[in-house]
This record gives sequence, structure tokens and C-alpha cells, in this order.
Amino acid sequence: MTSFAQQIAFGGSNPIVTSDDGRILDGLSLRNIGVAQGVKPNSRIALKLDDPLDIVSALAALDGQVEAILLLSHALAPETAQILARTAGCSLFVSDMMPEPEGGIAVKRLEAVLGSHRREIPLLTEWLMTTSGTTGIPKIVPHTLRSLTRSVYRFGTSTDQASTPVWGMLYDATRFAGLQVVLQALIGGGRLAVIDTTMPLADQVSALADHGCTHLSATPTLWRRLMMVPAHGRLSLRQVTLGGEIADQPTLNAVRAAFPAARLSHIYASTEAGVGFSVTDGLAGFPLTYLDKAPGNVRLKIEEGVLWLLPPVTGLVPSLPGIEVDDAGFVRSGDRVLVEGERVTFLGRENGLINIGGVKVYPEAVEAVVKTVPGVALVKVSAKRSPVTGALVVAEVQLDTEADPDATRRMIQDTCRARLDREAVPAIIRFVAGFTTNAAGKLVRTGG
Amino acid sequence: MNKLEDDIRRVFAEVWALEKGSEAPALMPNTILLETGLDSLGFAIFVSSLDEALGYDPFTLSEDAFYPQTFAEFVAFYERYRPNT
Repeated sequence: MTSFAQQIAFGGSNPIVTSDDGRILDGLSLRNIGVAQGVKPNSRIALKLDDPLDIVSALAALDGQVEAILLLSHALAPETAQILARTAGCSLFVSDMMPEPEGGIAVKRLEAVLGSHRREIPLLTEWLMTTSGTTGIPKIVPHTLRSLTRSVYRFGTSTDQASTPVWGMLYDATRFAGLQVVLQALIGGGRLAVIDTTMPLADQVSALADHGCTHLSATPTLWRRLMMVPAHGRLSLRQVTLGGEIADQPTLNAVRAAFPAARLSHIYASTEAGVGFSVTDGLAGFPLTYLDKAPGNVRLKIEEGVLWLLPPVTGLVPSLPGIEVDDAGFVRSGDRVLVEGERVTFLGRENGLINIGGVKVYPEAVEAVVKTVPGVALVKVSAKRSPVTGALVVAEVQLDTEADPDATRRMIQDTCRARLDREAVPAIIRFVAGFTTNAAGKLVRTGG
Repeated sequence: MNKLEDDIRRVFAEVWALEKGSEAPALMPNTILLETGLDSLGFAIFVSSLDEALGYDPFTLSEDAFYPQTFAEFVAFYERYRPNT
């Protein structure tokens, strides 16, 4: 077992992580970075860092030296982060912005846990990732470096700087898709270009072009937006990757036309099964032949229109509440699929979960808020297809007989804005005369 | 200025007011849509509101994906896919 630091492809003094503010990390330093004396082999550490360079340093230092690393998005609320850290059994937070909580888990800055100590034989550190979703507490999904790097392609370490892949970083590095970019870049033999993702997109595109970015991974929603930036022609991309949402054919066609020299991949990843695979033929969905043999030794099957996956490494299947595993070890992905001819395409989630540009919204959570508005008798929240963000939230509302439609509409908007994330606020509110209910008296929900 | 362009401007101003709570910026033919300050979600709501107001969505109707960069290109795209009736 080799640690993340040992697997970094370029170990020399050339920069392998560059930031648009001029800071760099080199492979030699990252390979030799250690931990402070107080960091013990049985430490379970929660990371909540904003700066991708800090995240890379922390992962290089801690993998192989501690029992577990919990990767938390810097965007998480401190209370949610505390709950997750407690659930994961963490005794320490490493964070650049969290205040020391009263009676909670201790917080240290990154500098305080870095040092010169390194075990010669690395431990098998757990990498604990969290699911995304705009409502409720995220779930913890256990991984190891091995399970996370299964799909990393090793380019080798050519000394020819011009052919070294330069990966642009547009994602949160603590999330599955962002971490894949970090690991692919550093273990695969490339360079990671970190830019300020709070800048206007046109400036981000320019910064990526200035960095010589050749490989870029983003959600279909972000790709569609990128193609509206006039300067996107400055990017000379060799690899274009779409992930995090269903990649539809018009978007794949448009990206191919915009970057004709690039290899085009779209990624399917299942948080439930902790695995994914990529498709490189430029067509939406995946070939039916994957049911016999899928890339990355993942095994697939379809039952009643739902995709099931068998991860290649057993023992890593997350035993999370609500995740179904059959006798053969196949995990129910929750993704509805359609088989047409020789192709399998994705239809959406069976639980109605709505994916808005990569942000996941539970219809029930939105319904619960809309129901609190006076004048609302019944509400059903569903998805409407959007050519921009993949989907939007639609609320169909049945009003009480005496309710004023205009005033109620405004109150629904105001209430949702105050209590929900922006993506979860219904973009469209329609008033309807009535709903279909099933035998149990529940609203009939059709997945979207 | 034709009626379609008027309608598009009106819906833009409505979506802007709802999303940003302020007066919408002026849209010139060469205005880069992404530089108006409307993000992906705002733009998605704009396109969806136009669908509700005009009764069609050229982004869904067109065979190939097209991403208009300027306001003039955006209006021309809607003009091209306007139903004949």
C-alpha cells in the first residue's frame, strides 16, 4: 500500500499545483510533507478547508498517517460539519475559518497539524466523503485512496513539459468530482491549475487559458455556460469531461463542436455504490454491451428500469440507511434508465430527486415549506426540463377556495426564498384545480 | 423594435427583479448575456419564463445545441424558431 504522497507522479521541484494568485506546490515538498507530533495513527480528522492548495497539502500529509480523513465542503454550515464529524468519530477539525466551538470538537489550523513526522509503512487511511443535497444532513460514504483512484489514468511522467496534462480546477476539491480531478492530475502525471472560482466565468476562462489548461472537467450546466463565454475559444483542450448531471446529446454535440480536438468523456458516478465509469464515444447514456462488460471492472444490471452496480472492491459498499444491496452484492443506484436498441440512457432519479445544475433538491422538502403558506391546500413539486440547468423546480399548487392567487404566489415565493436554498425555490408556480391521489391517499409522483 | 424583442425584454426585467430585487440593466444588441450578472440558475429561469410567456423554447426545439452569446443572437434565435401561426 502506498500513500497519496508516494503516488504523486512528479516528485521534482517543478510546480505541480499552480494558483492564479501566484502560489505553487511542488512534488518534492508534497512527497515529503509530514505531520506534527500530536497527530496519532488512531487520529480521525475532519478537514474543512477552503483553499484547494491547503486541501492538497493536508491530504498529502495525512494519508497513510492517520486512521481516517473526513472531507467536508467549506460551504457546509458549521453545525452540520460538527454533526458529521461527530458521526464519523473525529476528534479534531482542521479548518481555516471555523471558530472554536464550546464543548464541541477541537479546531486547529492546517499549519498546526503539519510537521516532520512520517511513518515508514503507511496506514490504510479511510477517506470519508459526503453526499450532496440541499436539504438534511449529508450521508458519509467511506472510501480508500485505492477505491478513489480506480479510474485514474496514468499518463506517465514525460519530461516534455508541453505534453504534460494541465487540469483546470472548477470544482470543490472536497467533493467526489473535485477530488477525482486532484487525484487524476497529481497521481496521473499532470499539473493542477487552481483558479478563483468566485470570479465572473469569463475571467475564469481567461485564467484557465493563461495557465495553459488542457484538461477540464465540469457539469453539463457549466459547460453550456462556458460555451456562452466568447473567450472559450482561447482554451485549447485535449480532454473534456462532463459529470455530476445527466449529459444529454445536444450538450455532448455542442461541446464536441466547440472543442473538436479534445477527447470527450462523460462520467456516470453512483454515490450509493461508491463507483462510476466513463463513456467516451460522445453519445448520451452508455452502450448496452456494458451490461456484459463495463469499464473499471464494475458490473451492471437493470431491474425494473433501475440500474444496479456491483463495485469491484467488496467491503467498501456503504452500509447506509436506505441503500439497498441484493444477495449478489449489487447496489441499487436509484437511477432510472431506458434501454433503446443498443443504448442505455438515464431518465432521472426514482425518488424524484431533482438535479439542478449539479445541486440536488428533494421535492418533499420543498413541498413541506410551500405547505406552510396560508391559502395553500395541496402542493406537488416536480422537475421541469431546462436546457440550461438540466432541470428546474416546479410547484403545482391547489389553493383554498377563498385564497387570493396573486398574494399567495408572492407569499410562496417569499417563504421559499427565506427558508430554502436558491436552487430549491420553485422557478415556476402553477395553480391547479386538483390532483390525482393513489390508493393510500398520497399524491402521485412521477419521477423527473 | 418588434413585439418578440419587447416580450423578451419584459420577461428579462421580470426575472431580474425577482432574482436580484433591482432594476434590470439595459440590453443592447451587443450585450454579452453572461456579463449581465444573471447566473446559470437565473438564465434557466429566464428561458423557462419565456417558454411560459411565448409558448415555445427554441433551446429544446433546435436539433443542435446553440449557445447565443449576445442579446442580438439570443433574439434572432427566438425569431428563427417562432411558430408560424
